[in-house]
Amino acid sequence: MEPMVTEPQVLRAGDPDDGQVRSVSSTAAPVRTVSKSPTRIALARLRRDRIAMICAAICVAYVLIAIFAPLLARLEGQNATDLHQDLIDEFGFPMVGPTGEHWFGVEPRLGRDLFARWVYGARPSLIVAVAVTTITTIIGVVVGLVAGFTGGWVDRVLSWLIDLVLSLPYLLFAIASSAVLVAIFGGADGAGAEDVAQIRFISLICVLSFFGWASLARLVRGQVLSLREREFVAAAKVLGIPTRQVLFKELLPNLVAPIVVSVSLALPGYVVAEAGLTVLGAGLIEPTPSWGLTISAATTYYRADPLYLWLPVLGITILVLALSLLGDAVRDAFDPRTRR
Amino acid sequence: MLIYILRRIASAVSVVIVTLVASFGLFFVAPTDPAGTICGQRCTPERHADISASLNLDQPVAQQVGEYLKGLAVGRTYHSGGLTIECDAPCLGYSYTLGQPVTKLIGQALPVTVSIVLGGAVVYLIAGILAGIIAARRRGTYLDRLMVGTSLGINAVPYFVVALLVSLYATFLPHAGYHPLLENPFTWAAGLLAAWLTLGLANSASYTRYARASMIETLGEDYIRTARAKGISERRVVYRHGLRAAITPIATIFGLDLAFQLTGAIFTEAMFGLPGLGVLTLRAFNQYDLPVLMGGVLVGSVVLVVMNLLVDILYTILDPRVRLG
Repeated sequence: MEPMVTEPQVLRAGDPDDGQVRSVSSTAAPVRTVSKSPTRIALARLRRDRIAMICAAICVAYVLIAIFAPLLARLEGQNATDLHQDLIDEFGFPMVGPTGEHWFGVEPRLGRDLFARWVYGARPSLIVAVAVTTITTIIGVVVGLVAGFTGGWVDRVLSWLIDLVLSLPYLLFAIASSAVLVAIFGGADGAGAEDVAQIRFISLICVLSFFGWASLARLVRGQVLSLREREFVAAAKVLGIPTRQVLFKELLPNLVAPIVVSVSLALPGYVVAEAGLTVLGAGLIEPTPSWGLTISAATTYYRADPLYLWLPVLGITILVLALSLLGDAVRDAFDPRTRR
Repeated sequence: MLIYILRRIASAVSVVIVTLVASFGLFFVAPTDPAGTICGQRCTPERHADISASLNLDQPVAQQVGEYLKGLAVGRTYHSGGLTIECDAPCLGYSYTLGQPVTKLIGQALPVTVSIVLGGAVVYLIAGILAGIIAARRRGTYLDRLMVGTSLGINAVPYFVVALLVSLYATFLPHAGYHPLLENPFTWAAGLLAAWLTLGLANSASYTRYARASMIETLGEDYIRTARAKGISERRVVYRHGLRAAITPIATIFGLDLAFQLTGAIFTEAMFGLPGLGVLTLRAFNQYDLPVLMGGVLVGSVVLVVMNLLVDILYTILDPRVRLG
């Protein structure tokens, strides 16, 4: 039950949201009233934000690169795993720069094609970020809804759990528990490199998810606490609507704005978390093509082969920049009070 | 007030206890073979048994937990490779891979982390608050928009990228490294300068925005208008009357940030090669050194919980409007 806002169309003529009253009465347009849900108003606001639209386009480009990575690599005629040892000199340095054959050159030491590794590198970043955001959003919303709506001891236990997760030293715990998770999944010894890489991938998603859900749960709980006292919830209860339906059909639609904002701010955070942990050596490992891995390998070659370092650095930075600015714009669109 | 503080302390203690039990469960009861991992490829049964004994893995779980708690309270004795190691209270275990008690390792790492974080905090507090005041006073001008835009941009760049680029390219800064403060304060400061500037630059961006928002709100208050009407110089109005009120919310954010940075300075430490708590944990991760991992996590949790508790209590004192029953 999203509350419908009725606003006179004429007030929405110019840029209605900057708080300044523009010439309202100068045009003698007939006053029509159009009902718009807050979500639609926010989306319309977002569409007018030029920076947000540019950032959204960049993000879409990244998603396309990730999806069509094999196609792009085939377009170049290379793949991410072939070792071009013939292009590497005896000291491990590549003998070719960017050429028609290898668009971004080849990796020092191993001689894998950098363009192919770069386009494939978009995949783990986006997959981890999207997976973790999805998992944490679902858990956070459900826990928050249940805690806020049920109250009593359920609320006390869940709130305590939220406080607990929020007061753990996130980075230290992430590193420590991924060591244990990898061991539990059987990646400690004996497994092949591919399997270990797969296990590290899954355990990274698990660890980030474990620490990510609590802040959204706390936010949702707070909102639900105030919403559940409202008349429409009381009406739903009186009508005998089952609790599950009250939670997801009545309350959830009112939480769209905080959830959308939280998602849009979480995505860049998880891209950074994945790349950061990987650079530290506590995230993904070879042979997964990942920007974080390339960055950590490239730090020793940053003078001899700057392109090797800068391509993944720019890949991550532009993606995070676009996602963050888009997230800020989304927050501003859904909550005009926070306008910068 | 007293009841509120007592309740907060009780919940803080419960968090630490649960962290202790959970990390113990995770690290020692998980179906893994820590002794075998530490022992490595060429492992003899004797060595394996020796490591198991040094980790107390040969005892039942309840006894392991009991021994660990006893070690925390009164210290304990380890037997490893024919040697007897005294581990004084608070004993967090014994690192087989480094041949040192965990408490000693963490004791060496903590001053490094604290130095980095506090020095960085000085940089970003001064730079951020000054920039925020300037932006607030020139609100709406080109300069203001430039500063807010820059701070949004800096904030959106991943921190590890900033740290990495500074550590690689800012070669004009003194070589990074940790030298104890008491030995030579000058080399201590020089070795940490690069880390301070990095941490300071990245965080001053958010503090610029906090300070700006808080300052704009304060400068709109009636008493500021009164102060101006009295004919006090604008500088005095802003820095004496305005800043004083505007700083309270910033102090709260700062307290929480500080707590987070003390346990999350790992990128700064790793990029500049400073042997702090994060780097210690990272090394333990790579060598599967469970006692160190657990000790790092535990100390980190205690630091975080205590800092959060202090912020909550100080906040009720700093801002008299907050009165919790």
